Amino acid sequence: MKAIPLFKEILWFVILVLLQVLLFNRITVFGVAVPILYIYFLIKLPYGRNRFYVIISGFLMGLVIDAFLNTPGMNAAATTIVAALRSIILNLFYPKNEYENLIPGIHTSAAAFIKFTVTMVLLHQTLLFFIEAFTFFNFTSTMIRIGSSSLLTIVLILALDSLVIRREKTSG
Amino acid sequence: MRNLLTFIIRNSSWLVAIVLIVFSFHLLFSYNSYQRSVYLSSANNVTGWFYETSNKATTFIHLSKNNKLLLERNAQLESELYSLKTHLQDMQMDTLTTNAFLSDSIPVSQFSFIPAEVTNVSFSGPNNFITVNKGSLHGVKPDMGVVSQNGVVGVVLTVSPKFSVIIPIINPKFRLSGKLKNSNNTGSISWDGKDLNVAQIGELPKHEVFQPGDTVLTSFSRIFPKDIVIGYVIGQIPSKDDNFNTLNVRIATDFYSVRDIHIIDDKYYDEQKQLENSIP
Repeated sequence: MKAIPLFKEILWFVILVLLQVLLFNRITVFGVAVPILYIYFLIKLPYGRNRFYVIISGFLMGLVIDAFLNTPGMNAAATTIVAALRSIILNLFYPKNEYENLIPGIHTSAAAFIKFTVTMVLLHQTLLFFIEAFTFFNFTSTMIRIGSSSLLTIVLILALDSLVIRREKTSG
Repeated sequence: MRNLLTFIIRNSSWLVAIVLIVFSFHLLFSYNSYQRSVYLSSANNVTGWFYETSNKATTFIHLSKNNKLLLERNAQLESELYSLKTHLQDMQMDTLTTNAFLSDSIPVSQFSFIPAEVTNVSFSGPNNFITVNKGSLHGVKPDMGVVSQNGVVGVVLTVSPKFSVIIPIINPKFRLSGKLKNSNNTGSISWDGKDLNVAQIGELPKHEVFQPGDTVLTSFSRIFPKDIVIGYVIGQIPSKDDNFNTLNVRIATDFYSVRDIHIIDDKYYDEQKQLENSIP
């Protein structure tokens, strides 16, 4: 692992945490949908990245978010589970890849990236909201929150991804 | 041992993930009161279900034993009943002894009640009256007492064949002797014309001990049976009189909502009145 990608990833980590706690967590669309974008960090890690690295960075990401939002353990648990399952999900949509350092993105293979993003986000949101509600009592309202928040998050992630890529292309 | 080590090494990322997830949930339950409460209560539900199920099972197992016990008890009671029956028959042969045992169990009651319904109320001024739908045709006579399910309402003033007019507690002309529940000193119930829910009990001796909430009951009266609730003590009125207290009493009957009342028919009223009037 070179120094530059690591630095870039740390930067992304910080930016996503700040975006999440300062901006996205204050947005509530129709009182139900909350964009939860920090999962984008896990989505954008390179294909062949070490599992330990993925799991621990996911856990740290959740823990930091929890520290800001005053919900110890909630985001950490959900994000760690998603991080642990990430390679399996990745293998579902990306064929066994020869490129170790392929970064999933909308420019490489849009269909696979969208499927991958949808799965990751849905899984993450489902875990998150059920850990938050921790009961099947208000099942319908929990499902509505999961669905709407996921939709919002997916749209934002796809927009963010295409935006970032375009900027990288124009600048580079 | 080597296999175990290989297994651990191969799946070490999963183990790390599991450790981290467990740690996250530990944080979740330690620092989030909501999740902890749900976790604890659902745990209780689960354990409760186990206990209940096992209890059902053991009950079922013990069913035949319990059945046998019940049968034995039944037989015992059956034989007891038989012996009592024969005993009763023996007794009935001898009328004298039977009568000694079977005394008149239902004595003629002094008081009977005529149910009536309120048809009109006039609570506008201090001279309040209540009209009810039973009159002399139904046996209502002036000076009969009237009670609701909560307590004393008033006294019948005049009657027509089908209606009668009641003078309630909340009329300044109304007088009734009452007493506190745990004492024998009688006072006099009256109404000062201010609050439809509050009457006064006066002429209580100064040494009378009372607490707010004490029950006020009827005492000697030609009209009401003893110990019918009039109301509950609220507090004392500062009085100038050195020897007597006056207390505020919340009336037990709610005059705003009273609908069904009972008129008390005292069988011995005339007799008592005649006797007392015969004294010159």
